[in-house]
Amino acid sequence: MSSAQLEIQLIACIVAVACAIPGTFLVLRKMAMISDAISHSILPGIVVGFFITQDLNSPLLILLAALTGIITVVLVEYIQKTGLVKEDTAIGLVFPALFSIGVILIAKNANDVHLDVDAVLLGELAFAPFDRLFINGTDVGPKSLWVVGTILLITITLLILFFKELKISTFDKGLAASLGLSPAIIHYGLMSVASVTTVGAFDAVGAILVVALMIAPAAAAYLLTTDLKKMLALAISFGIFSAILGYWVAHWLDASIAGSITTVLGFVFLMVYLFAPLKGIIAVMYREKQQRTEVSLLTFLLHLKNHDEVEERHVNHLNEHINWQKVRAKTVLDLALKNNMILIENNVVSLTKKGNDFTSKAIDYIITNEDAQIEDMKDDFFLFRG
Amino acid sequence: MKKITLFLAITLIFTACKDAAKDNGKLNVVTTTSMITDLVKNIGGDAINVQGLMGSGVDPHLYKASEGDVTKLVDADIIFFNGLHLEGKLVDVFEKMSSQTKTPISLAESLDKSKLIGSEYFASNYDPHVWFDIDFFKEFAKKVTNVLAEKDPKNAEIFRENEKHYLTDLDKLKNDIQGVINQLPAEKRILVTAHDAFNYFGQAYGFKVVGLQGISTATEAGVQDVQKLASFIIQYKIKAIFIESSVPKRTIEALQEAVKSKGHDVIIGGTLYSDALGNPDSLEGTYVGMYRYNIKTIVGALN
Repeated sequence: MSSAQLEIQLIACIVAVACAIPGTFLVLRKMAMISDAISHSILPGIVVGFFITQDLNSPLLILLAALTGIITVVLVEYIQKTGLVKEDTAIGLVFPALFSIGVILIAKNANDVHLDVDAVLLGELAFAPFDRLFINGTDVGPKSLWVVGTILLITITLLILFFKELKISTFDKGLAASLGLSPAIIHYGLMSVASVTTVGAFDAVGAILVVALMIAPAAAAYLLTTDLKKMLALAISFGIFSAILGYWVAHWLDASIAGSITTVLGFVFLMVYLFAPLKGIIAVMYREKQQRTEVSLLTFLLHLKNHDEVEERHVNHLNEHINWQKVRAKTVLDLALKNNMILIENNVVSLTKKGNDFTSKAIDYIITNEDAQIEDMKDDFFLFRG
Repeated sequence: MKKITLFLAITLIFTACKDAAKDNGKLNVVTTTSMITDLVKNIGGDAINVQGLMGSGVDPHLYKASEGDVTKLVDADIIFFNGLHLEGKLVDVFEKMSSQTKTPISLAESLDKSKLIGSEYFASNYDPHVWFDIDFFKEFAKKVTNVLAEKDPKNAEIFRENEKHYLTDLDKLKNDIQGVINQLPAEKRILVTAHDAFNYFGQAYGFKVVGLQGISTATEAGVQDVQKLASFIIQYKIKAIFIESSVPKRTIEALQEAVKSKGHDVIIGGTLYSDALGNPDSLEGTYVGMYRYNIKTIVGALN
């Protein structure tokens, strides 16, 4: 492995961590698309920066780009606070407006310059090792490694310092306000970090990868845990895993690095989406199937409780009386037998004491809707966990 | 943070064994467009390693780097590229590399600027598609030879010899093309293509060149552009319009439809190679073959 390859992976990993941290909070606050919005709305900042400095390579351009990112966030928040439109609509209103201001500024005043977002921010991971930083003539590594490294350091410091505040204001704005923490300040602080990270990472790895690294690892982690710290750790791990695996996929396929990392991110999310133990699609489908069976079981038990007549309780007649398909009737019978809720004598079904108690409790629950009575039943049945 | 270190350690372990730097004592030369790759292969022959970044059919305006390109650039001693913003942001990357042990050479930048076609709107910008003027391509060949000879004096004789042969080929090409084009009456010399790649060709052979899109293929043609161009085609009774191998044919088909809707007919005269050569194994995979093919297609369809 050459040093350039190592540097690319290192930059990708650092960007992955730097994106996963604000990304986790953005996903929790349902503002994930803000990173995509920022990657477009920074254009006017870059244009104004160019008018001031007349230099495409000035750091002021990137600074003003980050500032426009924060303005984006403030405007989105302002529109959203009116309560007339939702978050995603507010985002969709703000960033095209800012982007088009940038386009018009270029068309009016700078048509003879190759001025667009791509011209100022490199956005190509493959070339990051070739843009190096020299201090007193000594090569100290790729420039973007230093940029994203600094951003990561600031992000981690802020995260550690304000973890409690971030946590409370993310999950309970009212509580945060009553504790004397200003949700607005925390919010803008977080959004500023997201904005600076987006702009810095944009320069290192490109727009699509930044958006993917902010959202996909956090979204996957969201499906696996309800603990904020665990979610952060999982998001960071997914980000790093995808960055490194994605790089080697690109190596084997000789394909675009950013494209491969994004693909791996998508694949990681898909796997979690399918197989997450509680929130995954397969787990949810299994649970719904169980719940349907249990609703049938309850109907069946109620039927037994209400009918003492032998003909109503004959196994062969159950199909007609409760209108079940054969298969389900068998599943339900087996389930009831397994739990010792029924007895079958001469093909006539009767409730056991346990079955009788269960049915009474279930009826009570349905009528009063109180949880306390069925605590001990929750372990056996999905139905009462909801 | 422990996890990060762990992941890095794992990567290091399973990748440490891979290092495929080509080092057989020959110069490692990286080129961008397939035209330049073909040229450098002709001059350098077996005496150098040539690796092109952009394959056939790749639009240099929209080129995306692959992982393998990183290794090619890391190992490169010399990088030959077109320049004049043809390769977009890549040009900046090359320029930044010059402080290291690599020599990036922009072939188009080394031409006499006063002979280039300046952009209508941008004072300091030039049309980068200079290779369609064979005289400019001969300048490219001389520049490549000089750079190679300077970097690898041992093989300088070989390079000079190859250059002589190649320049003769180019002169013959120029002669043949003039002959074919003379069959086409002057009033029929109007070339309508997807984007403005053929201005130097037009200048050299008296063609009026109209591109549907601007110089950069990143811009899109508007509805008005299509309608205006359709009227133009009808007014000048142009028989054929052309697709380019590296630009989607959708816009040219839209133009054909626009002409049809006005009650006239124009055929698609074929596919021209503009920003990239054809398949390396085919005749169009070389600069000379590509030029002959383009001329045959243009003259055949317009006559």
